[in-house]
Amino acid sequence: MSASLQKGINALKEVIDAPVASYFNSCVHCGLCAEACLFYLETGDVKYTPIHKLEPLRRVYEQEYTLLGRLGKMVGLSKAVTDDELEEWKELVYDSCTMCGRCSMVCPVGNDIVYMVRKLREGMAVSGHAPDGIKGATKRTVEIGGPMGLKWPAVANVIKKAEAATGVSINVDKPGVDYLVLLSSMEIVNYPEYLEALVKIFKKAGISFTLASDAFEATNAGIQIGASDIAKVIVSRIINSAEKLGVKYVLSPECGHAYMAIRWEGPNLIGRPYKFEVRHVLEVLEELRQKGVLKMKDKFKEPLILHDPCQIVRRGGVLEAPEPLIQTVAENYIPIVDKQKWNWCCGGGGGASAIHTEEAEALRAKAFRIKKRQIEESGVNTMVTFCANCRIVIEEGFDHYEMNTQLLGLTELLAEHLED
Amino acid sequence: MQGPLIDTLARQGVTRRTFFKYCATLASLMALPPSAGRAMAEAMAAAPAASRRPSVIWLPFQECTGCTESITRSHSPSIEGLIFDAISLDYQETLMAAAGHQAEEALHNAMKENEGKYLLIVDGSVPLGLDGAYSCIAGKTNLESLKEAAKGAAAIVAMGSCAAFGGIPKANPNPTGAVAVSDIIKDKPIINIPGCPPIPVVITGVLAHFLTFGSLPELDKLGRPKAFYGETIHDRCYRRPFYDQGKFAKTFDDEGARKGWCLFELGCKGPVTYNACATVKWNGGTSWPVESGHGCLGCSEPDFWDGGGFYRALSMPADPLKMAATAAAVGAAAGVAITFANRAKKSSAKAAHETVTLADLEK
Repeated sequence: MSASLQKGINALKEVIDAPVASYFNSCVHCGLCAEACLFYLETGDVKYTPIHKLEPLRRVYEQEYTLLGRLGKMVGLSKAVTDDELEEWKELVYDSCTMCGRCSMVCPVGNDIVYMVRKLREGMAVSGHAPDGIKGATKRTVEIGGPMGLKWPAVANVIKKAEAATGVSINVDKPGVDYLVLLSSMEIVNYPEYLEALVKIFKKAGISFTLASDAFEATNAGIQIGASDIAKVIVSRIINSAEKLGVKYVLSPECGHAYMAIRWEGPNLIGRPYKFEVRHVLEVLEELRQKGVLKMKDKFKEPLILHDPCQIVRRGGVLEAPEPLIQTVAENYIPIVDKQKWNWCCGGGGGASAIHTEEAEALRAKAFRIKKRQIEESGVNTMVTFCANCRIVIEEGFDHYEMNTQLLGLTELLAEHLED
Repeated sequence: MQGPLIDTLARQGVTRRTFFKYCATLASLMALPPSAGRAMAEAMAAAPAASRRPSVIWLPFQECTGCTESITRSHSPSIEGLIFDAISLDYQETLMAAAGHQAEEALHNAMKENEGKYLLIVDGSVPLGLDGAYSCIAGKTNLESLKEAAKGAAAIVAMGSCAAFGGIPKANPNPTGAVAVSDIIKDKPIINIPGCPPIPVVITGVLAHFLTFGSLPELDKLGRPKAFYGETIHDRCYRRPFYDQGKFAKTFDDEGARKGWCLFELGCKGPVTYNACATVKWNGGTSWPVESGHGCLGCSEPDFWDGGGFYRALSMPADPLKMAATAAAVGAAAGVAITFANRAKKSSAKAAHETVTLADLEK
């Protein structure tokens, strides 16, 4: 056994816990999770059945922690997990799993399959079987500061533009304010209007906030690749900065996996509760709407549908905020069938959008057909979402299928129609 | 062959031929050689007048009189009842006309006159609790009476399960401290005729043997005559073929019960009960418990009342709840052991963990 494989198997032994043991023992092999997975649904290939993607983890569990498994391994009935096998599984664990969590929702015995995928990635990453795309993103986040290799000057530039557009001076590294605002790299590069929108709304609501020059990046590639030690280093930047500045809240940007990383994984990674509260931007906006601060001067007229990002809604628990907000700003909001926690993933979550191999991109394009159908069936030309990663992936899908659909960010849409 | 017994029988409409048939049957039942039947008949027929007939003293202790009912009323006026004409039953509280001091006198006279020769029949158990105060006759405890009467007896017959094994009085929690005759008397030959009650023909058969040969028949390790207690109810049961075919009644009113299938699953104790019910039957050969549709209770075995329930099949676990609790405890212990083993494995995996760095992501 190679040293890296040894490390990988050891990591799997380490992450297997009581929930994993009970999940594997509870699985009745009904296959319902297959129907919940967009990759299976759009390809029809049974290898994309979610529970099957966990085969290496299941075997390690069986061989290390069960009596029959141990006996089976001893007499050679159960084969040990090999490097070749993990390499083969790379596609199943990363390319074809966005950790959207729809499979966990449908499992009749309540197995949280995503919980296990996250754990399997620990073994995959440390044994060197993570995709190059995510490896690169992780490397850039650790060494430079963000998955896209952005440094503070880029953020400062965005801040400058936002100040110019709104006429509001934006705090940097200012202690004692209410909010520490985080951004994801995609918002810095592709959607700088998000910060402008936020500044506009916060000014209106009288909320004080700051950005931090040592903690601007909200995303966490360490979680996507499945290396908790690295994820801890990355999330600690935000925690240290927020606690140093003494803010009450850390504001997660629209980006879904950033919210999951800072809100749900963070405290577990550092092993203690935060001294501040993490809120998703939509939670804050919904609170403002209920207080009557979010008054619209006019409404968006065109019919539109909403794409609920998995990590914010289904996995993140921000279930109630999106619909009232979209109804505040849109005259013609059309609810789709699989909405809210049943929504279909864009196809690029969980780090998948960082994988740029030909096969992975082709697979993503195939999986996007389900999104395409949702749009076509509702007969609209506008879709609104609130996750920067979803936006990138969906726009790639639009390009691939040459669709004329317009994609908008919810916060920007709200800011645009906000009463002056 | 002439004699007082034959005369008496003839007066009661029993022919000589019938009497011989009875003796031959009795002999064969007791597995005696064919010649024994004639010897028996001769011995009984030749039994002299009442004054010279062997004396029998019957002492009742903690009992229900069921044994007396069995030997007398059930078969009266059949030949088993009449055999008493061959003996001199000098004391039997239930049957004798005398009472009080007269009865006591009869008892003491019989013991004195026939010392060393009389046969002592005991039914009922002997209470030892509260110095024997639970059962007294004429101011004497049963223990005193038994010891006194046993002293001059040639042999003792412990009639019924109470006298033989302690019976129902001895059943848990045995409030009176009841014991069997054999627990007290150690220096006299004792023959146990258990059953609740015993089969009449077994009683008379033993008496006939005693009369004919002047000795007791061959006994098994529990002091029971092998002739009647040599085989189990199950081995001689007419429902045995159903048992062998695996056909069992599951309830008392199901199809199997109506078809007369084996009552094993309804708690029949036949397989562990040694008695002659299946061959001799009851009420003059009319029927017997299993034939009437009910399983054997095992009444002729020691402590039958505490055997764990009459309707619990023999092969069922005596206490399924206890077994389940034990199994659960064993399972839990195994689970704990495996947990510790698995925890050790997991913590060694944790100990082997080296902080993952970017370099580790490359193979």
